[in-house]
Amino acid sequence: MFISGIGYVLRETFKGLFRNRWMCLTSTGVVAVTLLMLGIFMLLNLNVTHITDLVKEQVEIVAYIDDQADRNTVAALRKKLEENPGVQEARYVSSEEHMERLRLQLGRVLEGYDTELDNPLLASFEVRATVPENVSALAAEIENYPGVGEVFYGQDYVESLFSVTRVLQLLGLALMVGLAVTAVFLIAHTIGLTVLMRKKEIAIMKYVGATNWFIRWPFILEGLLMGLVGALIPMVALYYLYQYALDWVAVNNLAFISMLPLQEVILEVGRYLLPLGIGLGILGSGFSIGRFLRV
Amino acid sequence: MIEAKNVCMKYGKNGQYALSDISFFIDRGEFAFFVGSSGAGKSTLLKLIIRELTPSAGCLKVFNRDVGRLPRRKLPYLRRNIGMVFQDFRLIEGRTVYDNVAFAMVVIGSSQREIRKRVPQVLTLVGLEDKTKAKVCDLSGGEQQRVGLARALANRPALIVADEPTGNLDPGTTLDIMNLLRSINQRGTTVLVATHNREIVNLFKKRVIYLDGGRMVGDEQKGFYTHVH
Repeated sequence: MFISGIGYVLRETFKGLFRNRWMCLTSTGVVAVTLLMLGIFMLLNLNVTHITDLVKEQVEIVAYIDDQADRNTVAALRKKLEENPGVQEARYVSSEEHMERLRLQLGRVLEGYDTELDNPLLASFEVRATVPENVSALAAEIENYPGVGEVFYGQDYVESLFSVTRVLQLLGLALMVGLAVTAVFLIAHTIGLTVLMRKKEIAIMKYVGATNWFIRWPFILEGLLMGLVGALIPMVALYYLYQYALDWVAVNNLAFISMLPLQEVILEVGRYLLPLGIGLGILGSGFSIGRFLRV
Repeated sequence: MIEAKNVCMKYGKNGQYALSDISFFIDRGEFAFFVGSSGAGKSTLLKLIIRELTPSAGCLKVFNRDVGRLPRRKLPYLRRNIGMVFQDFRLIEGRTVYDNVAFAMVVIGSSQREIRKRVPQVLTLVGLEDKTKAKVCDLSGGEQQRVGLARALANRPALIVADEPTGNLDPGTTLDIMNLLRSINQRGTTVLVATHNREIVNLFKKRVIYLDGGRMVGDEQKGFYTHVH
């Protein structure tokens, strides 16, 4: 009896899908389109986050050492910086190293100039913050350390960068939540129509004494299959779209746009889209059928 | 088999009584008509018996179980003992005669072997053995109601409940369907029929329960449906 029950459910699921193939295709299409939009947005958001993270990592504080400071003060300063939990890395750059960098930048301009005898450049610490967003507070703190002269961290640039990325991320999140909610409604509604078309069948089943779960199972399996297919289609589409985007960036020499690798991104998106599609399918049919079981 | 004691039914909280103070007893193997004009409460009474509705007051026992107190999860098992026939047939139009009858057995979990054995039996009983593969929508009204009857009989119910089973049929077909119901009754199945068809009631001379405005105004063995009621 139990085995024949499973057989019945599977048979009914596929028969149901076939009999109502247009409606099922529509439902699957709606799932696929909404999840595709959601997926595109996730890809964009993932990459924006990735790029801003990269930029953030490059933000650093340059703390020039007071030219009056002696060796001990510098050693104490290094220790203080290294012990500060807000500092991820503090690198000492001597005045000679600064001159060397300048020479590399300016090249021939410095020819004939005795850089060893007369070096006006100050030694410094290049400090990277553990949390890039805290860079201004950290800079203010370092400025008060003994032996520190001036402190630079490209204040304006860093602050506008952070506000832009914050807005971008919030906007992305809001849009994704909005899309997900829309998807739930659309899908529940479309699957609801599929169930509505079979309202009579469901009522008859109730009259002849079918249990609610017996009626529900094929619908839930149908929902699951529609959701699964509806999630797989956009995954495949996203794979090719992203591949195309990567190629486009490479061909146009836009290497400064550092994008996440294809596989990593698709797996990440799939981790959300697949359960979401299946969940939407099951919930959509589950909810829609509930109404018709009270006969 | 069916025992009603002061059964009342009210739709909504402040609604009017569709049935009030109904009491009767129907024994195993009986054939009974519920008669009355439309709105008299016939359909409501049948819906209470199949527990599509629950009584607002009173006690209604079907197969010795108080249906008003029957938990929802036990409802399917009550219905498996009741075969239902409707005025509008309620068949699945796109499917064949065989499928429609088999459907009733499939959904309660009967094995394919039982189904293959039983469906031809009931189709022969209602005289549709040569229409097995026909689509329901290609059949006449009378034939469709025979399919409805076959479906009701498929699970060997102890009780058949028919709500205006001939309401949509012409007089000749009406008689055929009613004769079928009578022969089903003669095989031991209890049959309840709600109708306002005087000719049939008067021809059959079975038990008649009269309803008027939601009240029971008469209950006669070998009754007649006259103008008095």
